[in-house]
Amino acid sequence: MSAGQTQAKPANQHLRRNPPIAGEAEAIAAAQAGDERAFETLYALHKRRVYSLCLRMLGNVAAAEDLTQDAFLQLYRKIGTFRGDSAFSTWLHRLAVNVVLMHLRKKGLPQISLEEALEPSQDDGPRKDFGDRDLQLSGSIDRVTLERAVDDLPPGYRLVFVLHDVEGYEHNEIADMLSCSIGNSKSQLHKARMKLRDLLRTGQRKENAG
Amino acid sequence: MTTTRPCKTDMNCADFQERLPELFETHADLSTEEHLKSCENCSALVRDLEYIAQQAKLLLPIHDPSPAVWDNIRSAIRNDPGPPKSGQPPVPTAGR
Repeated sequence: MSAGQTQAKPANQHLRRNPPIAGEAEAIAAAQAGDERAFETLYALHKRRVYSLCLRMLGNVAAAEDLTQDAFLQLYRKIGTFRGDSAFSTWLHRLAVNVVLMHLRKKGLPQISLEEALEPSQDDGPRKDFGDRDLQLSGSIDRVTLERAVDDLPPGYRLVFVLHDVEGYEHNEIADMLSCSIGNSKSQLHKARMKLRDLLRTGQRKENAG
Repeated sequence: MTTTRPCKTDMNCADFQERLPELFETHADLSTEEHLKSCENCSALVRDLEYIAQQAKLLLPIHDPSPAVWDNIRSAIRNDPGPPKSGQPPVPTAGR
């Protein structure tokens, strides 16, 4: 299977990512009516996913907690507008992504546009691979190592990689979120995977040498 | 298992790797790529990129925020109980 095939989204992709949750519909209805306990239930059901998303996009615990808080406060303000056209978790997830992107635009990337931020300096970028066949990643990377390598990606690469490969968004959705072209999103994803490979191989070399 | 050998020229690798993002995006069957039949280096690259994409999908949410996050949210919404009706001021956002 090619990476292209790997990233093909099956029809039930969003169901896999957003399976129905028992008691969620009742909690949504009650929270829309102002029930704080119901809102707390929604928080308990979704805090892990929202926080993990924030943490992976930002790579910073304090900022991720702040933005998790912001996302749920926005949810509180907007929950009355949820009509069930999509899964609640999909809707909330998109809301959280927007909160993070807004934060990055306001705080993280004040001088440059996100499009420019998506193009890290040459030093950060991947290079063509013409040799060094001493290492193979397949079968050798655990989750913690991959998480750490994702953390070490340049921010623009990390955003696209997390949104596409981890969270399952399509390039057209990412382009819309990041206000960049679909081609740019595709290009950045490839560069992110190449950069990740570099990072993971470097880590393996260090382990082997140590 | 097919035995591959290193590619003789870097130029072929450069050309192939230029095309690689599009090949992935179009879900092309890479097993039919002539270059991969003769280039161990690019074959390894493709295997690694496939592996990274597969592993990324397994990065399910595992992190939990600290209890202080809910405490702050609860405190904020208690200052403005109930989902706001139109015309009400918004609840405060996280202080940073």
